[in-house]
Amino acid sequence: MFPERPARNWPLIIATAGFLAAMTWWSANGIGFSLIELLCNITGGGRLISESWPPDFSFLPRLADPFLETLNIAVIGTVIGGILSVPVAVLAARNLTLGRVVWFTDRNFMNVLRTLPDLFWAMLFATAVGFGPVAGALALSVFTIAVISKLWSESLESIDMGLPEAVRAVGGTWLQMLRFGAVPQAMQTYVSYALYAFELNVRASMVLGLVGAGGIGMILETQRANFEYERVALIVLVVLVAVLIIEEISEAIRSRLA
Amino acid sequence: MSERRLRGQQRIGGATWATFIIAALFVWSMWAIGFSPERLGKLPAQMVEVLGFFWPADMAYGWDKVLPAIAESIQIAWIGTIIGAIFSLPLALLGARTLFPKFARVVKLISATTRAFPEILLAIYFVPIVGLGAFAGALAIGISSIGMLTKLGSEVVDSIDFGPVEAVEAAGGSRILALRYAVLPQVLPEIIAHWLFRFELNIRASAVLGVVGAGGVGGVLLNTLRYRHFDKAAAVLVLTILIVLAIDMVSGEIRRRIIRG
Amino acid sequence: MTEQRGRIRFSRAGVTYPNGTVGMKNLDLEIEPGEFIVIVGSSGAGKSTLLRAVNGLNPLTSGAVEIDGRAVPQREGRQLRELRKRIGMIFQDFRLVKRESVLTNVLIGRLAHVPGWRAMLKLWPQRDRDLAVKALERVGIPEKAWVRASSLSGGQQQRVGIARALAQEPAIILADEPVASLDPVTTHQIMRDLVRINRELGITTLVNLHFLDLARQYGRRIIGLRDGELVYDGSAKTVTDGDFREIYGRDFTEDDLLEEKE
Repeated sequence: MFPERPARNWPLIIATAGFLAAMTWWSANGIGFSLIELLCNITGGGRLISESWPPDFSFLPRLADPFLETLNIAVIGTVIGGILSVPVAVLAARNLTLGRVVWFTDRNFMNVLRTLPDLFWAMLFATAVGFGPVAGALALSVFTIAVISKLWSESLESIDMGLPEAVRAVGGTWLQMLRFGAVPQAMQTYVSYALYAFELNVRASMVLGLVGAGGIGMILETQRANFEYERVALIVLVVLVAVLIIEEISEAIRSRLA
Repeated sequence: MSERRLRGQQRIGGATWATFIIAALFVWSMWAIGFSPERLGKLPAQMVEVLGFFWPADMAYGWDKVLPAIAESIQIAWIGTIIGAIFSLPLALLGARTLFPKFARVVKLISATTRAFPEILLAIYFVPIVGLGAFAGALAIGISSIGMLTKLGSEVVDSIDFGPVEAVEAAGGSRILALRYAVLPQVLPEIIAHWLFRFELNIRASAVLGVVGAGGVGGVLLNTLRYRHFDKAAAVLVLTILIVLAIDMVSGEIRRRIIRG
Repeated sequence: MTEQRGRIRFSRAGVTYPNGTVGMKNLDLEIEPGEFIVIVGSSGAGKSTLLRAVNGLNPLTSGAVEIDGRAVPQREGRQLRELRKRIGMIFQDFRLVKRESVLTNVLIGRLAHVPGWRAMLKLWPQRDRDLAVKALERVGIPEKAWVRASSLSGGQQQRVGIARALAQEPAIILADEPVASLDPVTTHQIMRDLVRINRELGITTLVNLHFLDLARQYGRRIIGLRDGELVYDGSAKTVTDGDFREIYGRDFTEDDLLEEKE
């Protein structure tokens, strides 16, 4: 007996397709998406590229200090954020937290942190502590907490609870349970997430200057405002190379750890 | 046994060294950017003071000016994600080492370069080309999405069961048909989940593009802060947080269902 | 079905893998249309290499294979696909697309028979759907047509694998260790299916088997391979334990038998 083809869930299919189409139409209209405009302006793009080429390498020495500042910001952000993300992650892990209220509060705190992009934090801190690299470092600290704690709390939730429970059973405190039972199991993932956060931070620190939060982005902003595209091109090139190198290094360390 | 202990000791040694180096880098960095301990000490008071300015939020401004700007950010993210999804799908299939060893290298190079650009640098280039506004932002987001989605997609393709591919080819089907029948059904759920996750990230990315004039809510926040209209800035923050949270929740739930289903 | 034949001829065929391993040495072999052949040999003796040379999945490094007088092309391409169209293959690990329906898996056997654009869009002609359904009926699981392949048992999955091969309207079926992942009861069911299909449709069938008792029970002609060379070729009725010892190069143990194992 060959059975009839089972009926498909047409309402769901139609609703999904309708939603996708409507969303795309609304968005394309809203942002003025037009291929014609893109094609007409392609010559402008060519001109821009020819203006950007060759990059003004004589400008390179003046990039050294801001470039170092950028890396400083990324290091500070990763270290402060990396340390603070430990308690945030532990309390957001269902198996390790201190009660439902703490867990619920911390989890929501974490999710709210995650909603705001890096540059929003930079703008806020630039307002609070004034323009400059300190604002950038603080912004990246918060951003780092958001990145690491979410990922790491998930790894903490998947650890084997045998050892932590044993530490508790022999009379260990909650902190001893964490220190000797839980954290060592998830140490490797912590390091790998911290490296990942550092990669993101290097990338982010390059553009923090656009909102006045220090680093190489501040020069980028002034050169762009003056239409010095050979210099803009040089800065973009430097950023690109730096990001790729940091990524390679971090990838190498992570694959060694694994 | 003894070898194991030796290796254990080496690891601890390595970790100590790493901690020391990181601490040194950190102290040097703090000194270099002038982030002194007294500055750190003043920080909490400063934060409390500034936070005070943000209350109460000017919600009337929120409805009039901020909501349309957030809508524009969502539109930018949506179009960017669609551009990314459309172009990354074929690239991800070609980028799978196991299926097309020759193409994989080229594809990897393309995706690595596009990923290395922060979206905002791409936007800096697109603004002069297509003019100030959201269209430039969507292109920037689209291009960096292509890079990231290609990388993630290739990883999904590389992790599948290749038995069915050979079964299709043994039945006389071409490579393309093998992709259609043996690869696509295996990878599509994970790939769609990656698209959705990318959309969540793209909303955040598009939110900041306003800083360089590429549309969206970032420009509004920058202006309100610049003119110290903190009540208006507060409206931007509250609405952004609430809307992004809501989208995250819905999209996350859909992702879980797709992966399970 | 007028064009169905399925004569296979190996002439001085050899396969040397890139790492230097010899998979097949100077093989001369002739198989008549409609024969049911069981190939035995210890692992690494070249059983898979032989099967996969028939449909060009493993290219030869010397000599030739001919099917109905036409040489098997040694490079991927349209000609090879044209040839594979009429050669069904059954695998040890079934090789189904687990997230797709059983019917779609069976239709994979029709891919080479319909225009490419129709296959891409899954716009299957009625004739091909009918053939897929008929193939499922022949293996006795038409009621599973719309079920996801992943929800079937091992034996049922292998039946889908057989149906996929049958949907090709093949002249030859190659079964590479078709029962190695199945329990004894299912093993006998699948072997009986293969024998029945061979008898009813006259499809030349080559089956790789590890278990000697199965080879004796179901084979009509047995081919023994050792280190890539043909060391036995004869009727299953007359094959002796001594012959098996010669093929395996050692005394065989209960690991080589299905029944004693359980």
